[in-house]
Amino acid sequence: MTIADTSQRPRFFARGNVYLPHIVVIEKVIEETPGVRTFHFNFKDERLREEFAFQSGQFAEYSIFGVGEAPFCISSSPTRRDHMEFALQRVGKVTNALHRLGVGAEIGFRGPYGNSFPLDFLAGKNLVFIGGGIGLAPLRSLIWNVIDNREKYERIDIIYGARSPADLCFKYDLETWGKDSSVNMVTTVDRGDKDWTGKVGFVPAITEQVAPSAKNAVAIVCGPPVMIRFTFPVLAKLGFTPEQMITTLEKRMKCGIGKCGRCNIGNLYVCRDGPVFSYAQIKSFISSEY
Amino acid sequence: MFKKIGHSEIAKLLSEWSKESTVLVPTRADGVTTWAKWDGRDVSFLDWYRNTVVPPKSFLLPMLEEMFRFQKGKDGYSLELPPSDGRKQVIFGIRPCDARALAIIDLVFREGYEDLYYVNRRNNTTLVGLACTSPYDSCFCTSLGSGPGDARGVDLMLTTAGDQLLIEEVTDKGKELTAGASGLGKAAEADLISAREAVELASRKVTRQVDLKDTDKALLANFEKAEFWEDIAAKCVSCGICTFLCPTCYCFDINDEMDRQGGARVKSWDSCQFALYTRMPMENPRVEKWRRVRQKVSHKFLFYPLSYETTGCVGCGRCIRRCPVNWDITQVLNSLTAKVA
Ligand code: SF4
Ligand code: FES
Repeated sequence: MTIADTSQRPRFFARGNVYLPHIVVIEKVIEETPGVRTFHFNFKDERLREEFAFQSGQFAEYSIFGVGEAPFCISSSPTRRDHMEFALQRVGKVTNALHRLGVGAEIGFRGPYGNSFPLDFLAGKNLVFIGGGIGLAPLRSLIWNVIDNREKYERIDIIYGARSPADLCFKYDLETWGKDSSVNMVTTVDRGDKDWTGKVGFVPAITEQVAPSAKNAVAIVCGPPVMIRFTFPVLAKLGFTPEQMITTLEKRMKCGIGKCGRCNIGNLYVCRDGPVFSYAQIKSFISSEY
Repeated sequence: MFKKIGHSEIAKLLSEWSKESTVLVPTRADGVTTWAKWDGRDVSFLDWYRNTVVPPKSFLLPMLEEMFRFQKGKDGYSLELPPSDGRKQVIFGIRPCDARALAIIDLVFREGYEDLYYVNRRNNTTLVGLACTSPYDSCFCTSLGSGPGDARGVDLMLTTAGDQLLIEEVTDKGKELTAGASGLGKAAEADLISAREAVELASRKVTRQVDLKDTDKALLANFEKAEFWEDIAAKCVSCGICTFLCPTCYCFDINDEMDRQGGARVKSWDSCQFALYTRMPMENPRVEKWRRVRQKVSHKFLFYPLSYETTGCVGCGRCIRRCPVNWDITQVLNSLTAKVA
């Protein structure tokens, strides 16, 4: 596994007809929870395996030919590039079809789209990652990116929650981060079970308990909209300014490149101007558009 | 540069253009005015044509189009682009509002990653504008910095001057059409004056006005007020007609369609007035109708100005003429500014 500094990687822009997907091949399927799977994949085209570059936070449109396309973030880190990963919950037509795929299946991939987490801005800061459910997928790309360049960042807090212990995604990562002495990991569930020894409570409430300091810090929040909506006020109470709160948003996204019109929040398109936003950018629209 | 042409010479001109290009003209299909390939004879639309119900955007953004086909073979999937249709097209008689509308769509479709389906067609398209002589009472283009004779957005501009048409060569693309064309004369000072008078007369007929001075401020100030928007949206039936007939509305959907030969990924018109448009499996930010109506109004009069320093509306009035429940954007805009004042 190669570990590289991603800021050095050239940006990859699709040439020609951007709607034409590349073919990628599924290399591994991981059952994260009963409804969530992670897929490891790679380009069929050898040259693309070499050339393709992306940044943490970017997403792509994945498609099953004959079923349709759906957007998911790239959940692996660009610092670890022998393959790429995306994770998804089985909820709709495309995700159900994707869940039926096994190793060797070919799917369409176009991207990477959107902006990415602002690594330069994050460098030298205390980072507070706050995730809920499958919202850990985009954070995970950044967390590994940061851990692989650990000396560039200060304190790392990770607060992650899910509905129940069975709903926790990326348990293998949670375990690794839990053991990493340079990371302060807090895991919580809304409802525990008899074996659960961690915290119990909603992510915003646990965030208030953990009370990360806002000093020289940036909070990166990702999860279901309701979690995001309730976490921002908690952070504000802790002294985080809107510029110190970053999130990545999800919308129905069809084109992925700011054309089809459906993913806007105000005059910003989540696909084109996001998916990574500071709270300062979206606060005038967020309560009613997200 | 200005030239002129007699009415009786138009058919010949269109025939010449038809050799190189597909010439599209206003037509009536079962009483509905729309656009079609010129039949090689009829130019009577010059007499009856005010504006079409269906805007000419469909020749750049088809209602439905195959983006590519896919097929599964023994080595996996192969994709095939549709044969490139490099043929040039001339939209003859496009109204100034509809031409400006395409310039507005350009801002989005040429920006960042280009949408080549649109851009290639657009590059192959020449717009021959025709100044309006009898605007509808629902037209309000003059409130949007435009008007019946506005030549920004077209390649050639035609204006009635007596029994002739004055031709203004606006762009180089337009000049390519007039170069070597037969039947064109040199315009005299008197023709320019008579054309200007015709435009002024037509402009005076555009009586509907909106005051857009504080519209963006009013929209921002009232953005979160549900009751305010519920009121505005009350009678709308979410049919989407206003968006489908809007010359600047470009929203589309992408879906896969299977057929006997394999399958195709298809692009089709979509509308922000439909709840499905923004639906995600677990969330939908615009379930309520008022949020969708707010999106339509805000996109054109707040978000566009914020991003591109222009409104996303050209004042063609189609949404007013064709709405089944008489929802009227000009009324909404005027009541908005009244509220903020
Ligand atoms: S045409 Fe009228 S009723 Fe139909 S969506 Fe537009 S405003 Fe609503
Ligand atoms: S996904 Fe089409 S505009 Fe954002």
